[in-house]
Amino acid sequence: MKKAISSVLSFMLGIGLLAGCSSNDTASSQNDTKASKQVELKVFIGQPRFKKQYETYFDQFVKKEKQDKNIDVKIKLELPNVNQASQLLKTRLASGDSPDIFSLHAINDIPLFNKAGYLEDLSKEPFADKLYDTVKPAVTTTDGKVVAVPLETLQWGYLYNKKIFSDLGLKIPQTMSEMKETVKVLKQHNITPFLLTYKDAYIPQLFLPLTVGGDVSTTTPDFIKSMNEGKGSFKDVKDLFNVMDLVNANGTKRAFENGQDQGASDFANGKAAMWVQGPWMADSIVSANKDFEFGVAPLPINDDPKATLLNLSTSTSLAVSKMSKNKAVAKDLINYILDDKDSSDFYKSLGFNAVSKVHTFEPFPWLKESSDYVSQGRAYQDPAIPSAVKDESQKLFQSYLAGDASKADVIKGLDRAWDQFNKNNK
Amino acid sequence: MKRLYGVAATLILAIFAAISFFPIYMAFINSFKTQGEIFKSVLKLPTKLHFENYTGVFEQLDLFHSAWNTVLVTVIGLAGIVICGSLAGYKLARTPGKLSNFIFTLFLASMLVPFHSIMITLTKIAKGLHVQGSIYGLGLIYIGLGVNMAIFLYHGFVKTIPKELEEAARIDGCNDFQIFTKIIFPLLKPITATILILDILWLWNDFLLPLIMLTDVNNYTLMLSVNMLFGEYNSDWPKILSGLIITALPVVVFYAIFQKYILKGIADGAIK
Amino acid sequence: MPQLGKQSNQMAINQVQPKTSSKSTLSLKKQKGTLSLLLFVLPAFIFYFVFLLIPTVGAGFYSFTDWNALSQTFHFVGFSNYIEAFKDDPDFRHSFFFTLKYTAFMFVFQNVIALLLALFIETRVRTKGFFRTIFFMPNMLSLIISALMFSFIFSNVLPELSKKAIFHLLDQPWIGDAKVSFYSILIVSLWHGIGYMMVIYMAALQGVPSHLKEAAMIDGANPFQRLIHVTIPMIMHAITICAFLTLNGAFKVFDVVYALTAGGPGRSTQVMALNIYEEAFSNNFRYGYANAKAMILFLIVLVITLIQVKVLKKKEVEA
Repeated sequence: MKKAISSVLSFMLGIGLLAGCSSNDTASSQNDTKASKQVELKVFIGQPRFKKQYETYFDQFVKKEKQDKNIDVKIKLELPNVNQASQLLKTRLASGDSPDIFSLHAINDIPLFNKAGYLEDLSKEPFADKLYDTVKPAVTTTDGKVVAVPLETLQWGYLYNKKIFSDLGLKIPQTMSEMKETVKVLKQHNITPFLLTYKDAYIPQLFLPLTVGGDVSTTTPDFIKSMNEGKGSFKDVKDLFNVMDLVNANGTKRAFENGQDQGASDFANGKAAMWVQGPWMADSIVSANKDFEFGVAPLPINDDPKATLLNLSTSTSLAVSKMSKNKAVAKDLINYILDDKDSSDFYKSLGFNAVSKVHTFEPFPWLKESSDYVSQGRAYQDPAIPSAVKDESQKLFQSYLAGDASKADVIKGLDRAWDQFNKNNK
Repeated sequence: MKRLYGVAATLILAIFAAISFFPIYMAFINSFKTQGEIFKSVLKLPTKLHFENYTGVFEQLDLFHSAWNTVLVTVIGLAGIVICGSLAGYKLARTPGKLSNFIFTLFLASMLVPFHSIMITLTKIAKGLHVQGSIYGLGLIYIGLGVNMAIFLYHGFVKTIPKELEEAARIDGCNDFQIFTKIIFPLLKPITATILILDILWLWNDFLLPLIMLTDVNNYTLMLSVNMLFGEYNSDWPKILSGLIITALPVVVFYAIFQKYILKGIADGAIK
Repeated sequence: MPQLGKQSNQMAINQVQPKTSSKSTLSLKKQKGTLSLLLFVLPAFIFYFVFLLIPTVGAGFYSFTDWNALSQTFHFVGFSNYIEAFKDDPDFRHSFFFTLKYTAFMFVFQNVIALLLALFIETRVRTKGFFRTIFFMPNMLSLIISALMFSFIFSNVLPELSKKAIFHLLDQPWIGDAKVSFYSILIVSLWHGIGYMMVIYMAALQGVPSHLKEAAMIDGANPFQRLIHVTIPMIMHAITICAFLTLNGAFKVFDVVYALTAGGPGRSTQVMALNIYEEAFSNNFRYGYANAKAMILFLIVLVITLIQVKVLKKKEVEA
């Protein structure tokens, strides 16, 4: 009996050893020979759809690093699905398995990760000075440190069907009254004004930054500050519900059964004239109908045309982990992202907007339009609403639009969410 | 009367079967359409059979490799679960007393905790033991996760085996281990079959644990590979559906081939 | 050798009343039995201990802290997480009642339908294998992908079907309305899970001795009476297992809800597991607090399972 059991145990031990041997050893070996230094970088980017582009660009970097500094870099690229990326990253960090470089959402994630001490200060790096002034604040912490290089930037309000608008001779409405007029004209021609897609909770949530941003830029500039101090309330955002109600009353049916996938197809096939969404849907829309032309316009939230502005935000950015053991090479990679020569082609291949003077490519058609707004100053930085409040607003707005919650409920819920955020982040 | 009952039963079964099969049929026909076609009308049959959805998904995701990875994980996990589980379940059922009850309860204790709660600690342990990142390690982890259910099932089943058989074998001079391998384990075929069916499905289709443990795309299981088709703003539905069908096919085929054998085993055992 | 065997055989039978054997031989036998037990259990225990038990203890440990799964520091907060879950968390309470309702429905429907299907299929002669495969097939698909498929069906297929007059009943807000969504989730879970139970019931049914059924028929019992008084008592063991699996699975339900409604609209269809998940991985990322709620969920299921097992074990003995 003992012999049999010991053979079973040794069999299993054998498997275990095999597992150990074949598991990815991530210790970076540095040979201090005259030949070259060997460094392994673990890079974690939650954008699997750009696998080819990242691999190509990083190959270029490896060549450059070998040429300039005689370092052999091996890059281990992990591209998890965006829906699990955040959890996965946190699990890795918490178990001590930090990547050297990782992607995070500039507006939503930087405060949290910075507070937890995972972001390396990159303020003195060359790339920091190359950033546009409109983009730099998004990757700077509240204590003035630049901690990431921005990849994806967005200029958005709502999308509109160019053909429908030009066929009916419609101009972009600059106030709520003008928007109501537009809605009337569309309905007279039997065109549904708005596409409603509430299934993906982030879509109703888009109303939050759009309305807060507009109000903060005009009537209530201290809103965010007062909320962070626990003194304000969402009652102060007077325009929170106006445009949401208008859109909801003049939209497609079965809003809760449709999400972004169906929405992109419907929009591209002309089911509605306008969609409160952003140009990140461009790929999806164009693949449903490659001849479709859409534009980006600022969403009016009241009758003050000065409050009708575009939202400027930065989402995916790359940061260097403070826990990294290869910071020098990691920083080289980050700087290479905005390389004077190669960055322009890189950003173009990704379909991202220009974030720096080194970018010289032609912007997308809808971007030309929105860039005009920006250069006229008709845009604001995405308001620094804590991501916990944004998460909560997804649920609250869905309930409100489903008729399960009143305006008072929503305001109370949002206030409570901000309170809890303050409490949890003393 | 009996005839009527028979006809009614067949009718009900047929209706239920149609409902049961409908979603699979939907997935199947839509896997041959283009994305635009899918969103325009889900019910219509495809105008053209876009086989490139299937070939494309093989290329894009390196599915043969993923399939092999999944097979490895499943085999290691199943072997470990069945061996360790049957050994433990048998002995626990045959040994009365406080220690036995305590150990049995200990095994069942963790059954009810949601995976997300243990995820982080498990990752730390896996990393410390160097089992993270490899397919073999993943298989070993599954043994740990699945053995308690197997013990529970074996424990219950062993109680229906008459003790006389073991006592007779002991008289003949067999030791404990021989009794187990020669007499008990063959008798456990029915419940082993049940455990195999149920656990194959779990291991084959599991998602979250492989996601955390496997970082290298070359080690991905089928589910992880298909998951890559879900984009942030744009999911490739035709490929997702064909990927799903391809992923499900091996298990369905396995079951179809072996079902007579498996269920015969269950039936044989049950009659005894 | 044979003599020794006989002696140990006798002792095994007389373990309860060791009248004839001496104390020292008994304790030796017991020690051997214990050693044997430990050795048999060891392989399973090692894997279980390392990969499941310790992480469970870890989860319990974190439930007493305020960790957010990211910071490098955290504080011990004693039982305050648990107290908060009971007093200050209306969403958690709501999710508890919602999950309870869901579990009750699943428990009844999954077992009744699975048993009925098993009974019906057992009476088939030629089409047995075919039906068995069809009903088991949903269970062979991954749960998340099944839920996504149904999401498609609820959003696109049923509305299209409902345009044809006979199917008008299908024109419901399957995912958009809290009341209807409950049934949508139920439908998907039943579709996926019934096959599982059906396989177990079919195996049990095949073990019901036909001579018992014949005897009952001779005694004049109709099919229904035969079912209640002969068949069901003979498959009690399977009913216990299936009841346990149904309860366990239903209380922990996550994948279906996550993929179908994400708990929405708002939080109206948020089950406990989803509430816990969102507590840990969104909003304020309160991993410690979420673990406390997970421990509470665990205790609830434990209590319910123990009650259920006790009740059904009694019935088993009687059979």
